[in-house]
Amino acid sequence: MIAYLTNLAALAAIFGILAATLNVAVGYAGIFSVAHAVFFGLGAYAGAQIALVLVPDALVAMLVAGLVSGVLSLCLALPALRVRGEYFVAASLGLQMMATTLFSEWKTVTGGIGGLTGIPRPHIFGVEVGTLPLALAALGLILLATAALMRGAFGRTLRSIRDAESAAEALGKNVAAAKALAVAFACAGAGVAGALFALHMQFVNVESFNLDQSVLIMAMVIIGGTGTLLGPLVGAVILLSLPAGLAFLPFIPATEVGAVQQMVYGLAMTLLMIFRPAGLVGDLSRGKSTA
Amino acid sequence: MLFIQLLLQGLQVGAIYALTAAGFALIFGATRVFHFAHGSSFALAGYVFIFAMQAGWPWWLGGLAATLAATLFGIGVFWFVYRPIQRHEGSFFTVFVAAFGVGIVVQNLIGIFAGRGFASVDTSLSRAVEVLPDVFLAQVFWVAISVACLLFAALTLFLTRHNAGVALRALHQNPDLLRAYGLSSTRLSLLAFALGSALAAPAAMVTAMTSGMNEAIGHQVMLISMAATIVGGVGSLRGAALAGLMLGVAESVALNFVDTQWAEAVSFLVLFAFIIFRPSGIFGIAQAR
Amino acid sequence: MSAPILVCEGLSRSFGGVKAVAGVSLALPAGQVTALVGPNGAGKTTVFNLITGNLRADAGSAMLRGRSIMGLAPHKVARMGVARSFQDLRLFTHMSVRDNIRTATETSAWFWQPGGATARRAREAATEEALARTGLLELAEARAIDLAYAERKFLSMARILAARAEIWLLDEPASGLDLASRLRFGALLKEARRQGVAICLIEHNLDVVTELADRIAFLDQGQVLAEGEPEAILKDPKLAAIYFGDRGEAA
Ligand SMILES: Nc1ncnc2c1ncn2[C@@H]1O[C@H](COP(=O)(O)OP(=O)(O)OP(=O)(O)O)[C@@H](O)[C@H]1O
Ligand SMILES: [Mg+2]
Repeated sequence: MIAYLTNLAALAAIFGILAATLNVAVGYAGIFSVAHAVFFGLGAYAGAQIALVLVPDALVAMLVAGLVSGVLSLCLALPALRVRGEYFVAASLGLQMMATTLFSEWKTVTGGIGGLTGIPRPHIFGVEVGTLPLALAALGLILLATAALMRGAFGRTLRSIRDAESAAEALGKNVAAAKALAVAFACAGAGVAGALFALHMQFVNVESFNLDQSVLIMAMVIIGGTGTLLGPLVGAVILLSLPAGLAFLPFIPATEVGAVQQMVYGLAMTLLMIFRPAGLVGDLSRGKSTA
Repeated sequence: MLFIQLLLQGLQVGAIYALTAAGFALIFGATRVFHFAHGSSFALAGYVFIFAMQAGWPWWLGGLAATLAATLFGIGVFWFVYRPIQRHEGSFFTVFVAAFGVGIVVQNLIGIFAGRGFASVDTSLSRAVEVLPDVFLAQVFWVAISVACLLFAALTLFLTRHNAGVALRALHQNPDLLRAYGLSSTRLSLLAFALGSALAAPAAMVTAMTSGMNEAIGHQVMLISMAATIVGGVGSLRGAALAGLMLGVAESVALNFVDTQWAEAVSFLVLFAFIIFRPSGIFGIAQAR
Repeated sequence: MSAPILVCEGLSRSFGGVKAVAGVSLALPAGQVTALVGPNGAGKTTVFNLITGNLRADAGSAMLRGRSIMGLAPHKVARMGVARSFQDLRLFTHMSVRDNIRTATETSAWFWQPGGATARRAREAATEEALARTGLLELAEARAIDLAYAERKFLSMARILAARAEIWLLDEPASGLDLASRLRFGALLKEARRQGVAICLIEHNLDVVTELADRIAFLDQGQVLAEGEPEAILKDPKLAAIYFGDRGEAA
């Protein structure tokens, strides 16, 4: 039972990072990425390879994973600078689909469908550490950084861009740089979460990094509430405990738990958008529609 | 010969894509709703058709039921999901998330009730015969092509001749023109959703007879329709249809050079490239920014 | 009269076949209000867009204190001291009024601002001053989207005040204002003029123009038909005919 709860807590922290960083893009910058799992995956593969090939040092793995995802976030920043609204969602969907293919086909790095197995337990300077404290520390740091950034000039710049891009430009804001940086921050965070995930599961394969996962992360942000610090965390905890909760309901056959779980969050997304579009926590409305 | 085989196959797939993309583009053009649940219309139609055929219904009755299912679903989503959101000025993203939620629900409902995995209709139409040395063609190819051509002709006629059709087209170009026609925007939106969703039904039936359905197909169809609409140029039905056809062919012909898994990514590569280099699409009137 | 800060010459831009702006020359001296007047679709907003880099000019030049700003990105033009308002305001709808203004005072978007604590206090002071002068102090914590019409217009002005620019390009800032608001707006403008800001004002209401403008440039179909003292321009029957839409009589 303890092991079960520790596992759940570590996963909650990891997905909390994912949701919190996606929220920087979605809630503050108005960049509606449906490709967050891509950068989660990039970080996971990078972290796993570091641990497998180089050293099982958690800090190195997380650092490299964050770097890889942060640099490759250019793939997402590029369309974000070119287009908005539906077009950007479409571009990120396209990126997600291409990445899924890449993850399952580039077998030398990702292990293909079979994935990477036998990832060693994480160490820090040679001492073995649990993933839960590691994940909690990372989550805390990332939340602190997010709060500091979003409360300051950078956060204001992002929100001003979200609300009226041309007016932000007319006040001297470098829109391209701000967007690229927001995307890089969000993706680097996802990369760190990926490395943690790989070290925690000791096994990764493409199924954790496909469109369904991106939508799940998106749902966490949406259900919790965009543009708030704690909303995404609440969303992550709710959606992660959903399968466990459903498993206790006797009238759902075990084989259908997955499907019922997906239906519940699909339904939750739809109903929330109709009745409470700001999410459970937030009262802040999301970005305006396309120009 | 392999190339010709793939080309023909691509045309058949492309015809299916063209129909669903045209439906998606019609809805988006007229209502500005990025109908992400469009794939669900397709999936529902396909499964209704499969069930009808398994129950021994005549094909036309099955087709009618499938079309009805798609149309009702499209109208229902508009009425119960999009309209309430638009009423309190929800942004495009609110609509997107809600539609995505609907798609997830439908996919899993189908999974639970129709079973997961592959399902198809077996007819004599889908039996392939050799038409050229090493080139096999099933009759369903001709069905797909002619149905697509017929429907496009009918759609064009409707959009250019019929009063409501002209209004829909006008709406594509300039939403403000609406009042000039004295038609309510709700009724036109309903019409767009009904027509657009109905277009997905024949495509779904052909798919059910050829490559078959699975519960996740709605996702894939939605993505392709969206890709075709953007590549074709938002605001242009013809563009969407043509781009759908092209994507089908490209995907199929790519098999000549790469593995199946990579071929599926071709459409998205094309989409991604278009968004970065030419966001207004091939025939785009609407600017992306 | 002082030398103009901003000088535009031969600005041109067409959209498809439509010549929206065809060879517009304009000079904005410090401490003067130049009104840009003309019928709907004359190309007034497009002139602003060409100056600020929101649109690329087909031909022509724009010099700011002798330096060309043609082809610069909008944020660079803004950083050189050109502030503009938009006809449709483009407020930061979901930010508070104070944050809307604060954003305008921040010269860098990043984590630290130049100038340290002194500069930070100066920014806060500028924010509060802009709030006070536009009468928005009580509404400082309200979201922009919740403001009434006139308040929105003043928020748009407050952003410009706070930006401390030496050139203001104002796109119909007074349209639809009631008399009291218009007086307050007039006072704002006169104060800025006194401080030496070069102001270009697009305005349809000729009473406002008469009261505030030092010079008028009359724009029609992308061309400056006349430029000069308000009295001379406003008395010209030909221009009046164009302005009030009797194109047939004018010809
Ligand atoms: N981005 C654009 N694309 C295409 N045409 C444009 C664009 N911007 C302006 N135009 C056209 O240029 C012409 C001038 O427009 P502009 O907005 O500058 O007029 P204006 O003088 O500001 O009018 P108003 O008083 O109505 O604001 C119009 O015919 C308009 O349709
Ligand atoms: Mg204008």
